[in-house]
Amino acid sequence: MMRKTKLFMDTVVDIRVVTGHSISEEEIEMKINHAFDAFRKVEQACSRFNPESELMRSSREINKPIPISPYLFEPLKFALEIAKGSNGLFDPTIGKLMENYGFNQNYLTEKNMESTTDTTATFSDIVLNEYERSLLLKKPLVIDLGAVAKGFAIDLAANELKECDGFIVNAGGDVFAGGINDKFNRWSIGIQHLYQQEKVIDCVEISNEAICTSGSYERRSAKNPSMHHLINPRTKRSENHLVSLSIIAPFAMMADAFSTVAFLSGVTKSKEIVESTGVKGIFIKSDLDIVKVGGI
Amino acid sequence: MAKMDKKWIILCSTAIAAIYTAGYVSTGDQAVASIQPNQQVQMDIPSNGNQSNQNWQSGNVTENSQSHSIYQDGIYVGMGSNRRGSIEVTVTIQNDKITDVEIRNHNMHYPQYYTDGLPDEVLQSQSARVQNVSGATYSTDAFKDAVQDALNQAQIS
Repeated sequence: MMRKTKLFMDTVVDIRVVTGHSISEEEIEMKINHAFDAFRKVEQACSRFNPESELMRSSREINKPIPISPYLFEPLKFALEIAKGSNGLFDPTIGKLMENYGFNQNYLTEKNMESTTDTTATFSDIVLNEYERSLLLKKPLVIDLGAVAKGFAIDLAANELKECDGFIVNAGGDVFAGGINDKFNRWSIGIQHLYQQEKVIDCVEISNEAICTSGSYERRSAKNPSMHHLINPRTKRSENHLVSLSIIAPFAMMADAFSTVAFLSGVTKSKEIVESTGVKGIFIKSDLDIVKVGGI
Repeated sequence: MAKMDKKWIILCSTAIAAIYTAGYVSTGDQAVASIQPNQQVQMDIPSNGNQSNQNWQSGNVTENSQSHSIYQDGIYVGMGSNRRGSIEVTVTIQNDKITDVEIRNHNMHYPQYYTDGLPDEVLQSQSARVQNVSGATYSTDAFKDAVQDALNQAQIS
């Protein structure tokens, strides 16, 4: 097993590849480096914590189409589709609200972002032109691509590693498991226990799939400890119906976006979402009751 | 089980394809091309973390042409510690920007941190049936001191 661990997107990105089979170690190492390059490029394109990112540079002018690279265009397009599909429950213009709640510090430079925006802005104020590959903002706003960009980077990294017999791309607990593990089995992925850091509460076996978990026990607001990082743009509050929701899907971008949307939707609606999109879900309520949806 | 909604699958796969068709991967963008020399150097570092903790640095031979540089381009090893032990990172600096932070000693001290969330019996038996945990919190706070240590070394006085 070859392993490298780096920091990207304010989290720990751990890549492991099963060695000793068809591909030489040198080749595997090169593929791992390319996989990390994907994280670097997506971060440089999509970060709202870096004034020099493509996202922040492209957000400075209003009502002017700015050509953007696919590293920004594609996750943004996906985020807007999710926003439309969820009627704004998921809204990438939540960036300013996140800044206000203290989720505004660059993890490397430790500099804080303070943006000036129009508070009435929603995702419908973001216009993508598919033909010109450009972005136009109708109002000053801060785009947060958080989970979607991370999912996209995981998917690109997995694509770089797809010729390997088995690999794991784990970006802060969002995991893509490719092929088989070093014991020639599907990969076992634990699901973080809610109240005991040292434990997993459940375990799933997956191959060539991603699993992403949204949990209210994760990042707490520094400014308001009752708030966590999953904020409902309508109520401007954190949702607490569920404590943890894991989605298993063929792509991490999908799993990440749907775990966020389903988490914000509450217990009943979230099951509908999982069933209607055909992904798999593991729901954990505050009494630690585990409900599985989608044939796991 | 409901049939997978194809729309989202298509969106995801075309998103990946767009990166390749645009030639971004084969040619590489400037930012990535420019750090190639450093990556070359980095590949020579044994990744098993058994190295001594000497503060070595290696980087571009060419001087940074910008006169207002804060940092000397190169690769720096930074040390830090948290309640679980010491942490060692390799920080790559290019044109005053951090382009890469690699955690070097995860075979020594890092697993204790990393394996938060694994059941004790798995850790003890070393069978490691569960090697990855979804939803575990991976704070980058633990690495800030080590990154800062590397930056201090890189600083042009």
